[in-house]
Amino acid sequence: MKTTLPPRLRPAALAAFVAFLCAAAPSHAQSATHPPTEPPPFREVVDETGRTVRIPQPVRRIVSLAPSLTETIYALGLQDRLVGDTDDCDYPPDAQKKTKVGGGINPSLEVIASLHPDLVLATKSFNRPETTHALDQLGIASYATDPHSVADIIASTKTLADVLGVPEAGASVAEEMQHRLADLQQRLEDLPPKRVLFVVWTQPLISTGQHTFLADALHYAGAISIVDSSRDWPQVNLEEVARLQPDLLVFAESQPGSTSREMEKLAILPAWKILHAVRDRRYAAISDAVNRPAPRIVSAIEELARQLHPAAFAEKPSDSKKESEKENPPSRPVALRASSPNLFPPHRYSSSMGGCACSR
Amino acid sequence: MQPLTFRKLLFHCLLLLIILFLVVVVALKFGAVPVSLYALGRDLLRVVLGQSSQMSSDYGLIIQNIRLPRIILGILVGASLSVAGTSFQALLRNPLADPYVLGVSSGAALGAIFALIAEPHLTLPPVFAALLTPLCAFLGAAATITAVYFLGRREGQIDSTTLLLGGVITASFLSAIITFLMSTVNSGNTRGMVFWLMGNLSTSFQKSTYWFLAAGFVAATGVIYASANDLNLLLSGEKEAMHLGVDVRRVRFVVYIAASLLTGLAVSVSGAVGYVGLIVPHVMRLIYGSDHRTLIPAAALGGAIAVVIADTLARIVVAPSELAVGAVTAVAGAPLFIYLLRRRPA
Repeated sequence: MKTTLPPRLRPAALAAFVAFLCAAAPSHAQSATHPPTEPPPFREVVDETGRTVRIPQPVRRIVSLAPSLTETIYALGLQDRLVGDTDDCDYPPDAQKKTKVGGGINPSLEVIASLHPDLVLATKSFNRPETTHALDQLGIASYATDPHSVADIIASTKTLADVLGVPEAGASVAEEMQHRLADLQQRLEDLPPKRVLFVVWTQPLISTGQHTFLADALHYAGAISIVDSSRDWPQVNLEEVARLQPDLLVFAESQPGSTSREMEKLAILPAWKILHAVRDRRYAAISDAVNRPAPRIVSAIEELARQLHPAAFAEKPSDSKKESEKENPPSRPVALRASSPNLFPPHRYSSSMGGCACSR
Repeated sequence: MQPLTFRKLLFHCLLLLIILFLVVVVALKFGAVPVSLYALGRDLLRVVLGQSSQMSSDYGLIIQNIRLPRIILGILVGASLSVAGTSFQALLRNPLADPYVLGVSSGAALGAIFALIAEPHLTLPPVFAALLTPLCAFLGAAATITAVYFLGRREGQIDSTTLLLGGVITASFLSAIITFLMSTVNSGNTRGMVFWLMGNLSTSFQKSTYWFLAAGFVAATGVIYASANDLNLLLSGEKEAMHLGVDVRRVRFVVYIAASLLTGLAVSVSGAVGYVGLIVPHVMRLIYGSDHRTLIPAAALGGAIAVVIADTLARIVVAPSELAVGAVTAVAGAPLFIYLLRRRPA
């Protein structure tokens, strides 16, 4: 897309762009370059798919085209600016009450246009480029994210917060995510990772490849996927799984209890019951938040880590080292449901960092 | 028409049987776990001779529980689709007819998708939950067969053209419903639906399912084979066949139901594996001629060979991942069909 600005706006746009670049750098540099008195009417930024977009300032009306983006907006405390989201946006429950623009694949452009958004948010893995093209044609600004790792999700949240004009909230959310992950890492650092099979779908068996944020999330939870594929959602040969014998199966469940039923179903099938993990019902069921590149993924990672390495959470982080981990004997069925259904819990260790709750 | 003795039939099919055996051996060898053919043969022989009840545990379980059942499934699905295709081509006297032309696969897909949507909301015992999708797929296929049969009747009997058009329209109507469901139903199972539509042999079933499939295949193929002579006469035209004493109405009805059942069985366990039922009958007709007494067994063996080869490729081409077998048959089948089309005698 070729962007042409009226000559009088060019210095302003340039200033905005410089301001954006500085904002992406450590935040203390920002106040020096950003003139607070005269906010520019437009900001030109490059989104994560490489498109240059002009975003009207300030962003007061937002439409989200993906559940992960809706969750991010709530996490940044911008829910009042969210004027529309998709049929799939179900978290937090309040998001279901927003005006629906249809599905992420096929949103209604008419509904989007009727909401007069300043900015439409999309994400590459969930939306089609045709949608953002069509929005360009209508003169509606859109910004797309494309995270591929947990670190990307944190960076993306931060950048998005900046684009939306709330860099402080972004920094605080990012800081909390990093803090919680660092805490996890400290608890798990001396434990051998569990070898798991992440099950997206059972018949046929679909798992996740090595280059997805999901595989990265597994690493943070002290697990390693036995599937070695460069494709994002590979169909995996069950023989290979039987050869590698994962310690556990990991499911992301949208309905509580569906996983235990699924395991019972698999346990009667000849091809599946030769997996020791199926025979002994060794599995972990976590919230499907792990499928969404949004701040809540940290909760899902913690949830998984607790189920995979219960010993690491038995004591305080300071003395949870060395002797704490004992392998589960393979014959013992492990009940691995997380006890807390609250997936955005008031964080135990947040008192030390202060103020992070205000960003919700 | 020349008399066909059992010996002659066996001679015709012997080559195909040998090829099928070799293909199965190769399919058994290749996979994620390396198996030496010698050790496998020795172990199998021991199990058959009763010297031991178990194969070597290194790979025995994988061969027994995953690879062999999958090959057997491939044989049954391929043979069913190919016999169904042969029957529909004779019945409709249309070389483009395949097992899916009358909408059976769309009906099965719709049934399967209903099952996938409903399953999370039902609390079923695991034995039944594992069977829900294939069962609903089969019910969907059966319902479609019945509906298309009534659509295809004119003046109390099946009319080939009406049946064909009725089937095509039903198929596209059902596909539209599937598209509608997939784009509106908000369910975590949507991804599974896509894979179901692509055709897959990686699904594992309980042992009884394989016996059920095999019994269905033998029964339906037996019924069609019993009408092989009548199908031969039908090739020369309906009136001619009638004058030669063929009960055209009965033959049409019986063959239609049997071939549809074969398709329904195959689709309910594998999704839609394309092109097998279209191409294998054509190839076999080129080799063995259009005498259905030879053609039907040859097509059954040919279909089994084709699907086992395709599925072995699907398993090993991108190992340790795998492809949908429907993608392999489509990629290989379409060019092959064009080739056959260009070189057929004018």
